[in-house]
Amino acid sequence: MEKMTSPAPSHVPVIEGIKLCKWFGRVAALKDVDITIERGEVVGLVGDNGAGKSTLIKILSGVHRPDSGELWFEGKKVELDSPRDARKLGIETVYQDLALVETMSIARNFFLGAEPKIRFGFFNLLDGRKMRQATEKMLRDIGITVRSAHQEVSTLSGGERQAIAIGRTMHFGGKVLILDEPTSALSVHETNKVLSYIDEARNRGLSVIFITHNLYHVYPVADKIIVLEHGRKVGDFRKEETSVEELIDIIVHGIRGDRRAVNNASG
Amino acid sequence: MDGQGPSPVLESCTTPEPNALQKHPFWRSLLHHREIGVACALVVVFTVFFSMQRHFLSAGTLGDIVTVAAELGVVAVGASFLMISGEMDLSVGSNFAFSGMLLAMLITEYNWNPILAFIVALACSAGIGALNGLITLSIGIPSFITTLGAMMFWRGVALYLTQGWPISIFEDIPLLRWLGGSKVFATVHISAVWWLIIGIIFWIILQKTPYGNWVFATGGKRGAARALGVPDFKVKLINFTLIGLLAGLGGCFQLGRMGSMSPVWGQDLALEAIAASVVGGNALTGGVGTILGTLLGAITMASIRIGLVMIGAPAYWYMSFVGFIVVAAVALNVKLGEVISWKK
Repeated sequence: MEKMTSPAPSHVPVIEGIKLCKWFGRVAALKDVDITIERGEVVGLVGDNGAGKSTLIKILSGVHRPDSGELWFEGKKVELDSPRDARKLGIETVYQDLALVETMSIARNFFLGAEPKIRFGFFNLLDGRKMRQATEKMLRDIGITVRSAHQEVSTLSGGERQAIAIGRTMHFGGKVLILDEPTSALSVHETNKVLSYIDEARNRGLSVIFITHNLYHVYPVADKIIVLEHGRKVGDFRKEETSVEELIDIIVHGIRGDRRAVNNASG
Repeated sequence: MDGQGPSPVLESCTTPEPNALQKHPFWRSLLHHREIGVACALVVVFTVFFSMQRHFLSAGTLGDIVTVAAELGVVAVGASFLMISGEMDLSVGSNFAFSGMLLAMLITEYNWNPILAFIVALACSAGIGALNGLITLSIGIPSFITTLGAMMFWRGVALYLTQGWPISIFEDIPLLRWLGGSKVFATVHISAVWWLIIGIIFWIILQKTPYGNWVFATGGKRGAARALGVPDFKVKLINFTLIGLLAGLGGCFQLGRMGSMSPVWGQDLALEAIAASVVGGNALTGGVGTILGTLLGAITMASIRIGLVMIGAPAYWYMSFVGFIVVAAVALNVKLGEVISWKK
């Protein structure tokens, strides 16, 4: 924790977005949003539907390019043209409904898009043994019991699926894990499990961006909470500076009480 | 459940030993193969025909079956590949006839070198497939529509080029012998060997390469595949091209075996190829399937065709029989799928 409060001179954030803007036709989905994510930090990204949460994470994960603004990764300016570029840097995104392909096995899902290969003449063949062993190790590490790594994902529960998607990021040495509504479809028990996986990811030095509607889910694990509204950032607090009640007030009313007072005083 | 004491399912949940990952009862692992439905269908078909006609299980008949299966099966392999990636191609029958016609015309009427003519015919077929893919994917219309249009268009072109007449080749051309004319064993034509080789190649691509993983993912859930960096557009385009190529190859096999080609052949080929594919356990909705199942599916359909001839039944019954087998095999697969997931 102290590394965040007393930054070293050489300190650089993992991700820094400066004045990010994104337009869809004449609609501004994102207006001048600044975002900073430190190493080992869990950032809660909250806001109502249409606030710009998913546009922002799609920019960070290479799905969209910002129309203006800069994106810095570990102190270097980057341009992400595709999700593949983002994954190469170590930014892994787990989408709510798009994390896994249900009709495929756990092992095939685990390595999708980053398959281990064995060179065989002119062909690259899948390294089936490595896929199975690494997947089974991951399943044991996160405490999921299944019959086999070849089991279809469709037979797993929602929490197990989130766990596998998170485990995949940790396995591939990801630096930033973006979770899109990871708890929205889960039971209370499974939500708590997913929150503990997020804790585990932070302990291993990953940065986590946690997008949610439900402040009560993100508050216990977050170090920092960012509130978006109508494409603008209306709040950016360390957890200890704020409370759930105050955050709800901001989400509902759009602006923080004391900042309104400052605005009034200056204006 | 309460009154029945501890169920085995409950026990396995409370004892999470890592060793449990490797333990499979043999019968259960057998049920996990999607080919089980088509294997049952094949056994039923063989039993029925064998009980009615003892010669059905002779080497000669089996050779006929695999020879007929080869021309359908090579197209069905392409159909399966494309179907697993989430698309379908109804134009393969027209493509099949067009490519056979083109090869025959280039050899007989324009006196081209047969090898060159063969390459050009295959390139045209692959091009037809790629065009289907480009139109479907870049405009975003369902492949059912694109390839329905292509089916009519290329059939019309084949009919126009020949004015509706079949073309026959009476000379002995080595290429045609190599494609399907010569026999390798008893009644087995060489096209069956090519089919087997193609089946093995596509089985390896699908099951054992990263590209195969992408094919499954693209058809299983396109959005997830894309989010993980799988080039879904490219995967589908390649598969459209491959089915075009294989449809053309099927046409060339038939020209090689029969020595003639008619612009009206292959009218039902698209539906037969899709039928062989779903009988073999491939899901029409994509994401799931096997090449071995497809090969067995094609053999099942060829067995019905040959079997009906052997028992002296009117060949008209072929379609009815195939229809019955399609529904029965898929129903069996669905029921087995329910049992397996329930046992989890």
